[in-house]
Amino acid sequence: MPQLRDSGNHPVSDASRRSDEQPASVPGGADRFDRIFGIETEYGVSVTGADAACDAGAVAMEMFRPVVANTRSTNTYLENGSRLYLDVGSHPEYATAEARDPMDALAQDLAGEAVMRRLALEAQERLRSSHGDGLTVHVYKNNADSAGHSFGCHENYLVLRYVPLTMIERQLLPFLITRQIFTGAGRVTSGGFQITQRADFLDEAVSSATTRARPMVNTRDEPHADPDSYRRLHVIIGDSNRSQFATWMKMATTHLVLCVMESAVRHGCPTGFETCALADPNAANRAVNRDLGCRDARLDVVDEPGFRRDAVRAAGGEDFGVTALAMQYRYCAVVERFLERYGDAVDQSLNGTHARTVVEQWRGVLDAIAGGRFDAMADRVDWMAKRRLLEAMTARHPDIDPARLAQIDLDYHDVANGRTYEALTARGAMSMPVDAARVRTAVHEPPHGTRALLRGRFVREAKTSGAQYSCDWTRLTVHAPVRRELVLLDPFDDTVTEDFRSLLAAL
Amino acid sequence: MPQEFAQARNQESQQPQEQPTVMGESRMNGSVDALDAVLDDIESVLETNAQEYVNSFVQKGGE
Repeated sequence: MPQLRDSGNHPVSDASRRSDEQPASVPGGADRFDRIFGIETEYGVSVTGADAACDAGAVAMEMFRPVVANTRSTNTYLENGSRLYLDVGSHPEYATAEARDPMDALAQDLAGEAVMRRLALEAQERLRSSHGDGLTVHVYKNNADSAGHSFGCHENYLVLRYVPLTMIERQLLPFLITRQIFTGAGRVTSGGFQITQRADFLDEAVSSATTRARPMVNTRDEPHADPDSYRRLHVIIGDSNRSQFATWMKMATTHLVLCVMESAVRHGCPTGFETCALADPNAANRAVNRDLGCRDARLDVVDEPGFRRDAVRAAGGEDFGVTALAMQYRYCAVVERFLERYGDAVDQSLNGTHARTVVEQWRGVLDAIAGGRFDAMADRVDWMAKRRLLEAMTARHPDIDPARLAQIDLDYHDVANGRTYEALTARGAMSMPVDAARVRTAVHEPPHGTRALLRGRFVREAKTSGAQYSCDWTRLTVHAPVRRELVLLDPFDDTVTEDFRSLLAAL
Repeated sequence: MPQEFAQARNQESQQPQEQPTVMGESRMNGSVDALDAVLDDIESVLETNAQEYVNSFVQKGGE
C-alpha cells in the first residue's frame, strides 16, 4: 500500500498518522456539514471531414481564439465564476465555480458543456470556410482516446482537516471504487465492455504528488480556505458523465460519506466504514470495472468476517458476498442511520439537495442492481444506458462491426456534435433534473452562497468596463488604470464588502 | 466483442419494469419502440467509416 504523504506545510502529527479507526475526538464545533463542491473536466478534441490537413491541437486553439482575443490568456474566469482553460497542445478544461450543493455543481458542469459546445461550433463555422463544409469538430467529455491516453474528470471537496489521511484511504477509497457501479460511464474495449472509463489507467491509491503518478485520490493544502480548518480533497477516480443523475449522485453520495466521517471524528466514535478497508485498492478497482453484474467479483478486504457481518445486515439479511454491491449497501446503510440523527443538519448545510432523497435514489439503484434490473436504470446510469444501446444495436445487426460499437461509445460523449446521448434525451430517455433553462442561467450566473458570486460579478463588470484585470480562485485584481486587489480566502463567503465595492469602483 | 452484447436483452425485457423513483422520470423504461427510435436516429447520422472516426481521436496531455 503506498505510503500516504501530506503535501501540507505543517507536520503531520503522530496522532493522525497512527490513528485511523478511533481518532481522538475534536472538541467543539456545532454539527454543521458545509461543503464546497467542484468538478474539473478535461475535454478531448478531434476533427473529422476536413478537406485540408487540420489537427486537433490547432482546432482547440481555434476554439479558444475568441477567449484569447478578449483576455490575452488561455486561462480565463467566466461570469459564472468558473474557470475555462486551454492547456496548450492538450485539453480544453472547465472547472466549475465553487458550489454549496451538488445540484448547483451539476448545473455548473452542464454550463461547462454548453460553453464548450458553443466554442466548438463557432470554431467549426470559421474553419469550414477554409477546410470545407464537411469539417466537424468533436469535443469529448470522456476519459480515454483511441491511442491509450487517459484524462480526467476530477471532483473537489473541502473536507475538515481533522479527518486523517489514513481514514481517507481505508474508508473513503473503497466507497469511491465501488460507487462506480452507478457512476461509471462505461467503455467498449477489445477485451470486453467495462463499467468505467478510467480503471485501467489508474496507479497508486492515495498520493499527494500532483502530476506524474495517477492516484485515485489526492489531498492538497492550498490557500483556498482557512488552512487550519479545511483541506482540499481531489478525487481523480471518477468518470466524465453525460448522465445528470450520475454527476449529481457522484457528489451527493460522496458528500454524505464525508459527513459521516467528519462527524465520527468530531465525536470520537467509529464511522461504521471500518470493515470496508480494502487490502488492494488497485486490484479491487480493476475487478469492479469488469464485474458487469456488480455482485460477482470478490473483493479482498482486510477484515472479511467483519465486512460480511456488516454487509449482510446492511442489505437487510441478503448476502451479496464481498462485492461492489455489498460494499455500496454497507455505505448506504451507514449513511441512512447517520441521517436519522443528523439529516436536518445535513440539509441545512446544503442548498436544495435533500439527503433523504439522495439515499432513496441510492438504495433504489442498489435494489435494481440486486434484482438484475439494469435496463430500469438505463435512464440514469451512463454505463447501463450505453450497454442497453449496444445490445439493441447488436440485436438489430448480429454481424455488426466492432468499430461501430466503439464509435457509438465515443459519440455518446461528444458534447458538440454527438448524436447518441442527444437522441436519448430527445426521446425522453434520460432523467434530467436540470432543465435547459437552468443550464442557460448557470452559464452566466455563479452558484449561490460562495465567493464565486464575487468573482463572477467582478469578471462581468471588468469586461464591461474594459479595464485590465486578472483573477484566480482566491484573488481579484485590477491592473489598470488603478492597481487594486482583493483576496478571497473563504470560499463560503459571498459577502459584498466595502473592499469589494472599492475594487469594483477601481474598474 | 459483439457476442457479449447479443445476450440478456430477451430476459430483461420480459421482467416487469419498475418505475424509477422520481428524479425527472424518463418516458422510455420498458418501451422497446422508443429504443428502436433512438437506434434509428443514431444510425441515420453516424459517420460511415467507424474505424476512421474512432482513430481520429488522439488526445495529448492530461492527468
